[in-house]
Amino acid sequence: MTTATTPARFARELREICGAGYVIEDPAKLEQAQILGVTPAVAIEPASVEEVAAVFFFANVNGLNVVPAGGFTQQQTGNTPDKIDVLLYTTRLTDVEHYDPGDLTIGIGAGWTIAQLSSKVGADGLLFAGDAPIPERATVGGLLATGMTGPLRHGYGGLRDYCIGIKFVTGDGRKGKGGGRVVKNVAGFDMMKLLIGSQGTLAIITGASFKLFPAPRQTRTFVAEFATAAEAVRYRNAVLSSPLSPMCLELVSPQAGALLPAGPAGKAWAVHLRATGSDAVLARYRTELGAAISFTIDGHNEHEVWRAIEDFSNTLPERNPGSVLISLSLPLAEVLPVLNELESVAASNELTYAVVGTVGVGRLLVGLWPTGAPANLGAAVSAFRERLPRDASASILHCPKELRRQAAAWAKTPTHSDSMKAIKHALDAKDILNRGRFLF
Amino acid sequence: MNLPGVLDDLRKIVGRDAVLDRPEDMMLYEYDAGVRRSTPGAVVFPQNTQQVSEIMRLASTNHIPVVGRGAGTGLSGGAISQAGGLVIAFSRMNRILEVDVENARAVVQPGVVNLQLSEHVSHLGLYFAPDPSSQKACTIGGNVAENSGGPHTLLHGVTVNHVTGVEVVLPSGEIVHFGGKAAESYGYDLTGFFVGSEGTVGITTAITVKLLRKAEQVATLLAVFESVDDAARTVSAITAVGITPAALEMLDGWTLRTIEAFCHAGFPLDAGAVLLIELEGLREAVEEQAVAVSEVCMRQKAREVRRAKTEDERALLWKGRKMAFAALGRVSPSYYTQDGVVPRSQIPGVLQHIGEVAKKYDLIIGNVFHAGDGNLHPLILFDMRNAEQYKMVLAASRDILQYCIDVGGSITGEHGVGMEKRDMMRQLFTDEELDVMISLRNAFNGDEVLNPEKMLPMPRMCREIMGASQNAVLAQEGM
Repeated sequence: MTTATTPARFARELREICGAGYVIEDPAKLEQAQILGVTPAVAIEPASVEEVAAVFFFANVNGLNVVPAGGFTQQQTGNTPDKIDVLLYTTRLTDVEHYDPGDLTIGIGAGWTIAQLSSKVGADGLLFAGDAPIPERATVGGLLATGMTGPLRHGYGGLRDYCIGIKFVTGDGRKGKGGGRVVKNVAGFDMMKLLIGSQGTLAIITGASFKLFPAPRQTRTFVAEFATAAEAVRYRNAVLSSPLSPMCLELVSPQAGALLPAGPAGKAWAVHLRATGSDAVLARYRTELGAAISFTIDGHNEHEVWRAIEDFSNTLPERNPGSVLISLSLPLAEVLPVLNELESVAASNELTYAVVGTVGVGRLLVGLWPTGAPANLGAAVSAFRERLPRDASASILHCPKELRRQAAAWAKTPTHSDSMKAIKHALDAKDILNRGRFLF
Repeated sequence: MNLPGVLDDLRKIVGRDAVLDRPEDMMLYEYDAGVRRSTPGAVVFPQNTQQVSEIMRLASTNHIPVVGRGAGTGLSGGAISQAGGLVIAFSRMNRILEVDVENARAVVQPGVVNLQLSEHVSHLGLYFAPDPSSQKACTIGGNVAENSGGPHTLLHGVTVNHVTGVEVVLPSGEIVHFGGKAAESYGYDLTGFFVGSEGTVGITTAITVKLLRKAEQVATLLAVFESVDDAARTVSAITAVGITPAALEMLDGWTLRTIEAFCHAGFPLDAGAVLLIELEGLREAVEEQAVAVSEVCMRQKAREVRRAKTEDERALLWKGRKMAFAALGRVSPSYYTQDGVVPRSQIPGVLQHIGEVAKKYDLIIGNVFHAGDGNLHPLILFDMRNAEQYKMVLAASRDILQYCIDVGGSITGEHGVGMEKRDMMRQLFTDEELDVMISLRNAFNGDEVLNPEKMLPMPRMCREIMGASQNAVLAQEGM
């Protein structure tokens, strides 16, 4: 465990910017905020964009490493930081910039939790489609920075589809903005796209505007079970070629099914299809899906199952601390070949695997852990990565401490690396933000 | 800039018949579908990515301003060259390189015409969703540069929501790839950043797009209103009952009468306004929504709601909508189209304001627009030969866009900033916010070889945007 040493004058300057009550220097509290074993030298809770900009300016001048933090639900993602000079919480950035239910849009501060946001718009019959794991703690800023949404991705699109405006402070201390509060807007560069999934390495997101959706009035989940992944993927293909447009379509592998609370799961490959609509529409789903349906779930059980699927990325490492959890984004036709490679790598390295995936958009969460005796997990993950197809993206969401140093090498993206470096340099030339934790 | 000096080099790259520089030829490339003009020095027609790379390297080395051009249907001057600059025209890079049904993707060259792609994959039950009114002519490369929309973007989103990967030639001539066939790629989303960058970051030479499956059922409704105000209020009343139509278009009485005289689409001649509403999806859902939407319209004082009974009737209604701009050519020598956006709930107010602007400047302004998105297209009629009137048009246009900004909207929803609205970016963004965007552009196009003087206004000195205390600290640190 390492602790960065920060001269007391830094804390003094930070107190002047944020106010004495919002600079945390208590070692016990800082210990609780450690990231991958690294304890921050100081933590701060700025209340405004101006305060964030002032902190960044100070960090640039003094060469400090700043790590953004929201609800601490995804901080295990990425590489281990060498040090954390300043941990910057966005939790006090909780303005509501605009909200008119009739416009189906909302603009709010980055510190809002997903549960608070969902509850606020839910009261007006609306849905926020960013279904983050652990919504009670996950924040809007963290959700955008990590891009970690759940099963609603299938029916409502990704954050890049419904985030319509963003406010931020760049690593070099400039207050920036992209988009706005209207649902269609092409004025200037699309800064939303650039910052979503940038893992807090370009700017700190201070607020965002979103499209909202009418909340479904009733839903039902149709579960189809199969003996093999190949049959499950064939069923996915049939659903995608049908007239149906489900709100969720999730593949659950046998081992992943064991983590779900309802149904005779745990033995088969299951595809959970969640549909919304009137009785007539749901009856049509039943007819179209026909004999493939093993059972249906609704009411409280349905809620619990989907909550468990959303939380898979959190539950799996809790149950198996020795596991590696990989997020994959694949072309649709590559899902089955990649599952076959996974099966092969797991079998030859005595590993067990679990998969939950939004397979209609080619996204998989893959967990791997030793079946019995200690196995060479790192080599197995490297082998798996080498077999991924050209257009695949992969990132490590969680891995055991001893494999952390290899995690960066496992990341994969088809996007040109030097262009990404040019973007990083343009917004955070001194590399103060999340240094060493992401791509470079 | 020494364009004449490199014409021979350009001909070596692309062949003698693929470079134009005669003044009479240049006249064809000095305009787009908007009102601005500027004559290029030469036009080059590459046939592959390698040629584009070599052209860019040559242009960068010789500081020759370059702009990519598809069909020239843009409305903001995005594809217009700097005077004497070089136009890279993509009419010979118009091949559909791949249709990948399993992955629901197509890979196309930038010169492929928008509608041509949908027609090409129609037999597979697939289509490309962005559908600008100019889709019979506009190219997908142009759609990418401007992040184009269209009526059906209400449900399906604009171009950026349908592009997953791009091959790009940077100003240096380097050929790079952002994203691919997967829906999302790890790392910075440079595909999303590139789409809508108005040709200021790089030039795309291959585009990977999503293909959507055609809906099982489509219902097209025409709701007829006595007044613009009633129609405007109906827009947010429809979304308030939890229905998102695939398209929700509005035409005011003057515009629909002009269209009707031109193409007999079946619009009622005595209406104050109509809403053209399209619903799509599962048969059962569409039928329920059609009933619900009709009820909302009638509650909001619609005179009647008609439903297209056949595919021909539906096609005719859409023909009327998409031919609106062409219809104006019969009644006015010139027209100016604006592209402001307002929150949906502000539509009644902005239409009233547009009416006041028309009176104030003594102009005829028609309205045909994407009401569901709040994306206005006021059509201001004028005569380009009348310089005074042209000034009035520009003033009226600024007035309308300023109103859009004041109520929380934007100056462009789908046409791009280009040349014409560049100065208004300062009303929408602070200098500091623009400075961030300029630094991103400069990361790729620091010498402004690519599409100079578009989209982003001239930068101001960084020191001007920093606070006095920050400047003091910088000075102290010797920065």
